Amino acid sequence: MSKKSDPSRLDMNYSSENDSLSSGRSDRSLRVAEKARKKNEAEDPFLLALKYFSQVEEGTPWKGNDVLEWHVAVVERVALSQGLSPEAISVLLDFALSSRMSSQQCVRILKILVPATVVPQDAIIQGVSWLCVGKMAMKTQVLFIRWVLTIFDLIDSKDQLRAIYGFIFSFVTEESLCPYICHLLYLLTRKESIRPYRVRKLLDLQVKMGKQPFLMHLLALYKVFSPELVALSFPSKMKGGFKNHNSTWKVALSAVQKRNNAGVLTDLRLNLSMRTQPNSKKRKFSHLTIPAVSSVPLRVSSSKALPLEQLRDFPHLLENLHRIELPAQMGSMLGSPLALHYIDCVRDNSAFLRLNFWLGHSLHEEFLFCREASSQNMAEATRFLNTLISTQRLLQEGFSSTEVFLYRFLRVWDGSLLRTQILGLLSDIAVVPSSRIKVVLFEPLMQLFFTSSLFFKCSVVECLNSMLLKWLTWHSVYALEDELDISVTSQTPQNMTLSGLMDSVVELVQFVGRIATVGLQLEGYHTLLLSFTLDFYETVCGMYLKYDLPLVLMPPAGVFYPALLATNPVSVDRLCQIMHRYRASLVSAKLQERQSQKPFHISRKTYREFNQYVVSMVNCLWNSRAFMPGMGIELAEDLLARSKVTECCSTFNLIHHPAFIGYAVDFHQKCWPERKELDLNSIKMGKCWDWYTEFLFSEGLWGLKEFVQSSLSHRTSSRVSGTDAR
Amino acid sequence: METQGGATATPRNQTVMHRSSRRSLGVELTSHFGCTPGQLTAIRTQTRREISKPRNLSELVDPEHLAALVKEEWRISYLTPMYQFKHTQLQSYSKRLAAFIVAEKQQGIGVEVGPEMGLKVVFSAVHGLAETEDDAEAVFIQIHSKSAAAEGEATKVVWSGWLCCVSGEVEYLRSLSTDFTCLPLFGASGAVSLTTTVMSWFERTFDCYFGPLGIDSTGLKWLAALWTGCHPDINIRYLKLSWTIPAQPPLDVSYTVHPQDAWELWNSIREVDGLGDTVGIEEVTYFMKGLEMHFFRHFRIYLSAGTLTKVTTALGSAHRDGKIRITSGDMMTSVLALLTECALLKMPI
Repeated sequence: MSKKSDPSRLDMNYSSENDSLSSGRSDRSLRVAEKARKKNEAEDPFLLALKYFSQVEEGTPWKGNDVLEWHVAVVERVALSQGLSPEAISVLLDFALSSRMSSQQCVRILKILVPATVVPQDAIIQGVSWLCVGKMAMKTQVLFIRWVLTIFDLIDSKDQLRAIYGFIFSFVTEESLCPYICHLLYLLTRKESIRPYRVRKLLDLQVKMGKQPFLMHLLALYKVFSPELVALSFPSKMKGGFKNHNSTWKVALSAVQKRNNAGVLTDLRLNLSMRTQPNSKKRKFSHLTIPAVSSVPLRVSSSKALPLEQLRDFPHLLENLHRIELPAQMGSMLGSPLALHYIDCVRDNSAFLRLNFWLGHSLHEEFLFCREASSQNMAEATRFLNTLISTQRLLQEGFSSTEVFLYRFLRVWDGSLLRTQILGLLSDIAVVPSSRIKVVLFEPLMQLFFTSSLFFKCSVVECLNSMLLKWLTWHSVYALEDELDISVTSQTPQNMTLSGLMDSVVELVQFVGRIATVGLQLEGYHTLLLSFTLDFYETVCGMYLKYDLPLVLMPPAGVFYPALLATNPVSVDRLCQIMHRYRASLVSAKLQERQSQKPFHISRKTYREFNQYVVSMVNCLWNSRAFMPGMGIELAEDLLARSKVTECCSTFNLIHHPAFIGYAVDFHQKCWPERKELDLNSIKMGKCWDWYTEFLFSEGLWGLKEFVQSSLSHRTSSRVSGTDAR
Repeated sequence: METQGGATATPRNQTVMHRSSRRSLGVELTSHFGCTPGQLTAIRTQTRREISKPRNLSELVDPEHLAALVKEEWRISYLTPMYQFKHTQLQSYSKRLAAFIVAEKQQGIGVEVGPEMGLKVVFSAVHGLAETEDDAEAVFIQIHSKSAAAEGEATKVVWSGWLCCVSGEVEYLRSLSTDFTCLPLFGASGAVSLTTTVMSWFERTFDCYFGPLGIDSTGLKWLAALWTGCHPDINIRYLKLSWTIPAQPPLDVSYTVHPQDAWELWNSIREVDGLGDTVGIEEVTYFMKGLEMHFFRHFRIYLSAGTLTKVTTALGSAHRDGKIRITSGDMMTSVLALLTECALLKMPI
């Protein structure tokens, strides 16, 4: 549009100059310029048209006026293709509203007023002053205000419009204008525009006109800014927003905008959509309704404060971060995604206490105090808890009231009601001091664990794994913050010392070790439960290297051996990987200790345990010495004899192990396709063993590979004599 | 944004503060109550309380308030601490609540705050009910309606209610910051719809939340013992206990004991293991067991198999649904203290 707008601006300047100067000097240069201009004008029908509209006399007949028709057509073409420049808008608007020709012409012009870039505020002011003159037909007045509403976001500045708020307000009494004026006022209202007499006027109008949505919305906005002046309740069924935009304009406008690639018109939507939708099917005494965001009704807020419900979008939030006012009910913040981002910036202890009171009250009332539990509100409860979980995940912290609630709820929980949600919330709780972790967490969980199904057992282990992960993450983040001395000042969520955190972690890991041992026995070493247990130990084995927590805890025998002797290769492979990571941790710890950078002590016992496990693994898988003295599991000779398994020592080596025998057969077939008889022992011979292990690695057993490469000092074919943990 | 500037200067302090703010529930709540979650209830339930002597409240409390308090039957609720509630603002609360009630009635029509409407709300502070200096002053609320027919002076009280805290647990009250006012016990009498509206106004204005407060059988037994214990000072006239027995069809038992007999039983228990000025829960249990045994001897019905639903004496009555009536000011503070305790036990944190 720049191509068009520049000449027209020139034109306007010149014409005004022209008026004052034409009779005066007859300067040559001026004449030349005049000539050039005239030529230019003659060439550009649009400028001619503008000139026509700015100069046309009042009372010019319009019927059969071909000149007029011609100019309107030109303007229409330009308007719909490129949009009109600010100057052109001013001229045309002035022409239309001054009613210099008939009102039909006025309507015609208004309908094609599509701005290309912005609309000058002055033009609107002038329009309003024409409105005050009172010559305009009502239809034109309505059309004008609707046009203003449509292009409102394009008005270059609004300060003067706000200055004449009172003038605009005076039109609310016009019945047919009222809906549109209310909308315009809604867009212009600031806290300082609200006066008691205006409130009274609107209330009078409401008495006269009844529950009109436009009045309600404007009053609601007044209530937002000045709750001390007006009280209003929204009916539960309320249509949202004003519907006053003219869609023809909007379509034309967006087409022009698109063509001009201008980003001026970002969003014509109103912020009313932010308002929480009233839940019409609300249960009568539901405790799980997130309150609607509303402003503080009592505290005298400074005029600069921005009520949270006025927030439009994220950029708006960022711009106003310093002056946002917390809502009257802190709980309402949970219902608005925008407000959630703001919670993170809140530094007010009372605000969180309020939030916790609300949350705790809702949870207690619904799940602990409420006597009858009906199935129909299950959906509601699920939704509420999911909101809570996603909020906590967003903030990366659990709320204290959730925690207090969970401790109470765990004691009465049947383990199936809202299992996913409850365990989800549970995994979010902050580090529990070791002194009470047993009472509040382990005892109720243990009871549920041993009396529930396999799937519940799996989900409990999964939940505890995720809990441990979060504790470790907290620790590693805070340890990074206080990088100088992690052992003394480390700040964890509850101002816990490092040793306190470690105690809790030890308790947690040992607890999982215990329940996993018994759980695996109870469930016949079910692969699924074993898999979740190994998940947990994958976290545990990385505590030192990955999360910087100076702690290495080995799995109990009740988890280690079932995994080693498992019937599926995945479990054995994962165990190998876990052992490899333990090794890495211990090696690194040893190194640290030697260099005495960070003195911490890992007990001999841990090393001994680790070595014992590695020896067992190697003896079992490589050396075919399962169940021999010196291994973790020893069986008496006569007992082994009674099992009537020949060569029971080698039944768990890489060839005969139930998890690997499939691979061995496969390998055998590939090596000796012509052989009819299966002789797995031949794999042990010579180079074959090396090939076999390579074959296993190539089948995707990476854990095994890592373990072999790190723990076996020399990979000779038959005898691997010693292992070294260091 | 100044805080942001500060954050860049001292990132560590900022994060530390931030972290503690969301978790630690303000000041010392965590250290006092967070330590034993899951057992909060057990620990905070009192097993001993002082023997309360009847007291003449009429010298302390405004007789008008006292008269209003003893007249009605109240449905009680608990509420979480109120944020930014100021006893100095009661007048403005009156206007706002009135406007709110009218606005709620005529959904969608705005109401100007201030001018007189068909409704008048009066908030007033009740002095003299608070027992310790940590207790906030009780608040009494009355809603008068000006009926259209009899315009002018004829106003009728259509709803009344009160908020109070009597001998609230000091530790809990002190752990709250000064932004909060803890009046955990709420009594209402009048149309339920008005009660709901008033509650919702409080919730929206002070960010506090209400829940029904039933009186469990332990609470009712305490009340029975409490009232019986003061029989020598004030004639309780009768001790009436109601049970529901889970039989088919359900059996309601009403058991009225002569006050002198009840007192003698109570006194005999007190004589055996009475410990000075306090009464223990064991004594209360013995007392009730004695009454139940006596009933069994006559009717062969184990009352302990049922639920105690109501306790009534001439001094007042209490129902397990949370309906109470206090007909005499003399024992009012003791009853309210007991109920305050029940209400505080319901606090979510």
